[in-house]
Amino acid sequence: MEEITLELLLERIKSADDATRASARDHAGSVGAAAVAPLAKIAATGELEIARAANHAIQNIVYHAGRPGAQAEAAAVAAELLKLLDNSLPLQLRRDVLWMTWQIAGEEAVDTVAALLSNAELNESARMTLERLPGEKATAALKAALAAAPDDAKPALAHSLQVRGVDTPGVPDLRLKPTKATAVKPVGR
Amino acid sequence: MSKATAGVRRRDFLKTAGSAVAVGAAAPCIIPSGVLAADGRPGANERLTFGHIGVGGMGGYHLDDMVGRMKRGEVNIAAVCDVDEKRLANASRTAGPQADCFRDYRYVLDRKDIDAVVIATPDHWHAVQTVHAAERGKHVYVEKPACCTVEEGKAMISAAKKAGIAVQVGSQGRSQPEAYLAHRYLVNGNIGKITQVDCFHYLSPVGAFSPDSDPPPELDWDAWLGPLRWRPYNRGYCHGTFRWLMESGGGQIRDRGAHVMSCAMWWMNADGTGPVEIEATGEAPERGLWDSAVKISVKYTFKNPDWVLTWNQPGEPAPPEERTGNEPGGPITRPGYGAVYRGDKGTFTHWGGDGGTWAERKAREWQPGPGAKDVYKSPGHKEDWFEGIKTGKKTIMNVEAAADVAILTVLGNLSFLLGRKLQWDHSKREIVGDEQARRLMGRPQRYPYAV
Repeated sequence: MEEITLELLLERIKSADDATRASARDHAGSVGAAAVAPLAKIAATGELEIARAANHAIQNIVYHAGRPGAQAEAAAVAAELLKLLDNSLPLQLRRDVLWMTWQIAGEEAVDTVAALLSNAELNESARMTLERLPGEKATAALKAALAAAPDDAKPALAHSLQVRGVDTPGVPDLRLKPTKATAVKPVGR
Repeated sequence: MSKATAGVRRRDFLKTAGSAVAVGAAAPCIIPSGVLAADGRPGANERLTFGHIGVGGMGGYHLDDMVGRMKRGEVNIAAVCDVDEKRLANASRTAGPQADCFRDYRYVLDRKDIDAVVIATPDHWHAVQTVHAAERGKHVYVEKPACCTVEEGKAMISAAKKAGIAVQVGSQGRSQPEAYLAHRYLVNGNIGKITQVDCFHYLSPVGAFSPDSDPPPELDWDAWLGPLRWRPYNRGYCHGTFRWLMESGGGQIRDRGAHVMSCAMWWMNADGTGPVEIEATGEAPERGLWDSAVKISVKYTFKNPDWVLTWNQPGEPAPPEERTGNEPGGPITRPGYGAVYRGDKGTFTHWGGDGGTWAERKAREWQPGPGAKDVYKSPGHKEDWFEGIKTGKKTIMNVEAAADVAILTVLGNLSFLLGRKLQWDHSKREIVGDEQARRLMGRPQRYPYAV
């Protein structure tokens, strides 16, 4: 894979030319952790196609850094992702960052992600991320959240624990409970 | 709630009545012969009752097909369900007044009078709804591809096995008349030992350049997304175009790969097996919301027996042969995809692989001699499923086979996304030696839309 510098990546990802932008996106992996924050800024503020390319470039960095034998790169990228989870980025972009976090981060991400369980707009993304982070620390965070959660939040947290092999007796399973009614009446009735 | 729901399920009544007859041996038997079957299965003569979940696109085709069967007195349709109210209203007009309407498929699964469901929702719903249907004891026909992740495929297999239901996945190419002829031709060694199968397909499209917006009033966007992570509505997602999003559709390799590779696995007697290595290269779209690979080439290496399966998008399409239109499969209407089978004594080509599966002339004209092997000839994809429901026999595109084909396509896309080879242990249905790729065998799902 062709390697490019951080400066070239950021310049090309902002190009109005589709091919130039896509090439930068596809070669972002080798630039690594240093590109995560500046790409996130472009993803948050750029024109639609430029923002999409920057977002996709961060994902490519996550994929590249997650390759076997690159643990240090993976840790560096995960650390950069966690820095993006403050309130400075648009909501959907933070959801995207959480989605990338479970793909590459380890136990070091648990505290930051668990803190978002109390964020009304990010709690579901945080739960989904914790469900997939490796290690006992994520399990403990989900258990603690379940113990403190209001009743309506317990089933989702219990589900995540069940995915991780933890029994959660007494918590209702809502997966098969219908809730959404239609206004459509059968024709002819 | 319908009258049928409030009543006793017909089969339960008959079973109870049958027990009473057995106890009171002097009582006259009023149950028609052939109605009762073992293990609570419907009898051969019993009319099955269906619910349709997802009634646009292919779901509309399935509903039309089942309405035809209903008009012939073969089946009942008790419910139609969709998260798009316009589609639901259209489906009600098609299905008739006896069919109740639902937005939430879980109401359909709660109905005691429904034996089986036909699921034709977007791909990201297939596994969740199949697993939930299994947990409610419903037999399932689900559109292909079976699953979007390895984990989903394993969950489907496990749930179906636990419930003892019949699952048919909509890779209907296996049930086409020329598929039978191709299969029979190949297993009788007419092109010798086959060591490579090269699938070809045209490109995935580029598109969806609009920004996000509010969903149309008739669409329940939360229910459409279901297990997928939350994202704002964009008209590039639906309907139908979900196929070009990696998370929900995965592009041509997952759509048509579930057909063309299904034929390959069936004809190569490779159901129940998997590759040991997957390597993909490709190109993502340069712009737009759709992110599935425009071009993608995947090499799947199988061992014991050794053979190679490749997906080539675009590949080199084999020119379609001339036909009169009177062949079993009729004229070739979709020559842009298919596969070339390479043996040590020759090659064989087929086009299509779905509802249109067209075999090269030499397979159609081959006459089996004494001692020739025969292969299973499907009575039709739905008929094969009905047999599975009533007899417990394995369906032609059963959940294990279908999950394994879908997993092939998933692994191809994953290798492309990660930019590296993957090693696969099929005995465990697991990626080995790559921690990140192993994490990506699954993905978290929004609750309560989870397997």
